[in-house]
Amino acid sequence: MKHREIPIRDLDPDGLAALSEAMKLSLSAEDMLEIQLYFAEGRREPTDVELECIAQTWSEHCKHRIFGARIEHSGSGGEEVVESLFKTYIKATTERIMERKPGFVLGCFVDNAGFVKLDEERAICLKLETHNHPSAIEPYAGANTGLGGVIRDILGAGKGAKPVASCDIFCFGSPDTDAADIKADDVIHPLGIMRGVVRGVRDYGNRMGIPTVAGAIQFDPAYIYNPLVFCGTAGVIPTGDIDKEMRGDLKVIAVGGRTGRDGLKGATFSSMALDTESHESDQQAVQIGNPIEEKKVADFVLEARGRGLVVFITDCGAGGFSSAAGEMLSEVGGNLYLERAPLKEPGMTSWEIFLSESQERMVLAVEEASLPELRELAETYETELTELGESDDSGILKVWHDGQLVCELDNSRLHDAPVRRLKSEFNVAAPVADAAPLESDDPGSDLADLLADFAVGSREPVIREYDHEVQGNTVLKPLAGATGDAPQDAAVVRVDGSERLMAMGLSLLPEWGKTDPYAMGRATVDECVRALVVAGADPERIALLDNFCVGNPEDPRELGMLVETCKGIAEAADAFSAPFVSGKDSFYNYFETDEGPVSIPVTCLISGMGVVPDAGHVTGSSLRGGGNLLAVIGSSGADMGGSVYARRKSLGGRKVPETDLAAALASYEKYHKAVGEGLVLSAHDLSEGGLAVAAAEMGFSLRAGMEIDLDKLPAAGGPGVVERLFAETPSRILIEAPADAADALAEIFSGSAFAVVGATDAGHAKLRMTSGGSAVVDADLAALKDRWKTSLTPYY
Amino acid sequence: MENQPHALLLKFPGTNCDAETARALEAAGFSAEVVPITRIDEAQLERAQLVVLSGGFSYGDYVMAGRLAQLETERKLGDALTAFRDRGGYLLGICNGFQILTKLGLLPDGSLIHNTSGRFICRWVELEKRGVDNPFLGGLPDTFELPIAHAEGRFVAPGDAPDRYLAEGLVALTYGSDVNGSSCAIAGLSDSTGRVLGLMPHPERFLWKSHHYDPDWESPDGEWGMGYYMFKSIHDTIAA
Repeated sequence: MKHREIPIRDLDPDGLAALSEAMKLSLSAEDMLEIQLYFAEGRREPTDVELECIAQTWSEHCKHRIFGARIEHSGSGGEEVVESLFKTYIKATTERIMERKPGFVLGCFVDNAGFVKLDEERAICLKLETHNHPSAIEPYAGANTGLGGVIRDILGAGKGAKPVASCDIFCFGSPDTDAADIKADDVIHPLGIMRGVVRGVRDYGNRMGIPTVAGAIQFDPAYIYNPLVFCGTAGVIPTGDIDKEMRGDLKVIAVGGRTGRDGLKGATFSSMALDTESHESDQQAVQIGNPIEEKKVADFVLEARGRGLVVFITDCGAGGFSSAAGEMLSEVGGNLYLERAPLKEPGMTSWEIFLSESQERMVLAVEEASLPELRELAETYETELTELGESDDSGILKVWHDGQLVCELDNSRLHDAPVRRLKSEFNVAAPVADAAPLESDDPGSDLADLLADFAVGSREPVIREYDHEVQGNTVLKPLAGATGDAPQDAAVVRVDGSERLMAMGLSLLPEWGKTDPYAMGRATVDECVRALVVAGADPERIALLDNFCVGNPEDPRELGMLVETCKGIAEAADAFSAPFVSGKDSFYNYFETDEGPVSIPVTCLISGMGVVPDAGHVTGSSLRGGGNLLAVIGSSGADMGGSVYARRKSLGGRKVPETDLAAALASYEKYHKAVGEGLVLSAHDLSEGGLAVAAAEMGFSLRAGMEIDLDKLPAAGGPGVVERLFAETPSRILIEAPADAADALAEIFSGSAFAVVGATDAGHAKLRMTSGGSAVVDADLAALKDRWKTSLTPYY
Repeated sequence: MENQPHALLLKFPGTNCDAETARALEAAGFSAEVVPITRIDEAQLERAQLVVLSGGFSYGDYVMAGRLAQLETERKLGDALTAFRDRGGYLLGICNGFQILTKLGLLPDGSLIHNTSGRFICRWVELEKRGVDNPFLGGLPDTFELPIAHAEGRFVAPGDAPDRYLAEGLVALTYGSDVNGSSCAIAGLSDSTGRVLGLMPHPERFLWKSHHYDPDWESPDGEWGMGYYMFKSIHDTIAA
């Protein structure tokens, strides 16, 4: 027998919980009672296949039960009940925006990725996934399959979108972490994690021929035990191929890799906290990647979609065939025959085949008449095609193995996991009373230190390992400018056949969230939108993704911080009319060390795609030459909370800056107009390290020296020199423009905080920043650049 | 077009630069056709004037880069590519294609091994044109830039072979500086007929001016990048 019956009908709640524990189902006693009830009604006991299948479907990883939970929250808005974070803050926000802006969002929340309109014929889509727990245990394989998985999401989006660009965002412990500070056995040093993860992404992305064009690395000791790995891929699809619908008369086929025992229980594994034992016992949960297998599948899928042979498609991700078939057959019903699945190894049991998360597999529903052509195509691209089963109109999913019915679930009830009830609480601590302007003996040396800080330093050693130019469409590269190695705010890729381009950008500010998660939420959305706008995107044509990583959701404070973050991002997205079209969450990112549990800070990654009207809107963030003016858009404040400067100087308890969303939106619209009129030569957003770092980075093209009068900055709240240099007030942009554009710019920006603050000068190669007529920074740009470029080189 | 030269791009599992290479060939005036290795036959070679092996990771390059593609090509086509060259056909191998052409013995003896840094390198490099009268390089200036993206691009050959190739005019392109440890800084190599060229840099990624990392880079004609001139050179040679 390859399956067995599991008696549960006579178990009491304790017995059910023990069973869940023994089978590693990650289901609560309450969940188990619900399952017991279901089988009691059917007057039979479940099979192991059925229990495993339900456990996967109801896992936090697949079902997002915390984002759907009923939360009693106590926070900035007093006591309140949030019926589902997802519905309240994400979905409702998007629905309001879709009403205001019809025709832009072409699909969200339902399919593998969110779609927005690029032009009359094409849509672009984006999806980001996390692969945290696997990357903690097996950094290379975990990151490798993290990217492989999200690429399949895009291949399975609509009737098969073409992956055109990827991004990756990592959160690690600091690379210079002292091994003695790691308080648990078998935890891999952050440097080992970083090297493994980067190489994992490199080897999948490069082999797939998808350029890795954007990313970020965040360092914080809190990520030592729980590194975070976000992988994202964008795709392009003809608008007519977005909608797909199952029918009852189709053949279900699997294409790609074989099924093995690798990746068993990945979804339930990632819904648990890590501990030292995880490093020993859960390695089976990490899958093994083979990018060439996936490349063959991709070639097959895109050709099949182009020929109109795909009726429905989805990827095999978490839950393997069970989730793919569940998605495909949950409404129409149908039969799957497990003995037909090509296996990597003999002797696999029914549930192992059905639940395996082996990589590089796609499941398609096609017309029977298309099968011969599809088989020929599979031969052409040397990939394996298997007829797994068929849909019918029964509404029941039936899984067979060697003639035995091993799973029969009424799908209308399968997805109904009980709603969880949770409590949360968060209030921002009062900031330190004394907020007098800071003093610095040597701001120039502070600036050099900031540029060399791990938060700011060049990611070049990592970026150069990624092929960011394959497909030949990367217009704004991650490193560019006259010397080809200066940082840019977002990436821009051409889309074949279209005048319009796609910008891809992202932001995360976990340091801010430690103090004020609500302010973090607003500022993170602002920074992502701003990066896209600065890269050339139309502020009217931006869509966002929300990806959360959180520690322990049963801790009211941690959950409270998440609730406050959600409020912040929802308000900001609403203000910018930038809808959320996809997202994902990952919980239980905490670790039981020898000295107690360590949780990550609430980490909210906002990523986005923006439509760039044409290549003329792409200026880049690097100085073009001498004789131009420098201007700052947006008002500078005095709040230093969350800044890299405050962290370096150990300035605790500072207030985190607020984001004026209405002012920001007005600025961005005006900026877009100015770029469209050719008034902007280059522009850089002000983020980590503030104005001083942004100015230096802009100057790293080494085309000219820069002179900036800090007294001319538009300001509010009484910032002193240090704040003007290093505060990270949101919504600000530094631009370079032709000297004769001053009047035209002043007119466009009238009513917004805007000022010409200086000029570029080809006669020298320094960054000079003055206040009260005297220089506060007078530094050689090449020397600053050297500090910035060599920040990570000793470690990677 | 009646006399439009035809380019055939061979595609292996893992070849991933075929679409943009076909796009570049078409921009230069070729008709271009991508043919998976499973569907190739000698009759298709009859119709082509140029055979292109584009970049990627054929079969994953898990053994030496290009080795499995070489074996599969020989299994499917025997020595048909050699015959194609001997009857006047042109062959171009870019990146992984250079590695495959080397393995096939269509280029001077040598190997492309791991970069001295042990890393994959994605960046733009300065190149020097060495090949005199090379049909692929006629329209290019003496020095120009192209992007590279490879882990195994370090050209090595036994003894003093690299110097000899240089002396014999077989070296088509050298790097302006040491980027991967290549002997004699070899970036591109021709065979003795001059009709076969292999190079590590990616001309198809510098088709337009806008491909350049510097927005102020000046194109000789205001529109095209240096890669275009490579495809245009071979097009004009064949069409002449």
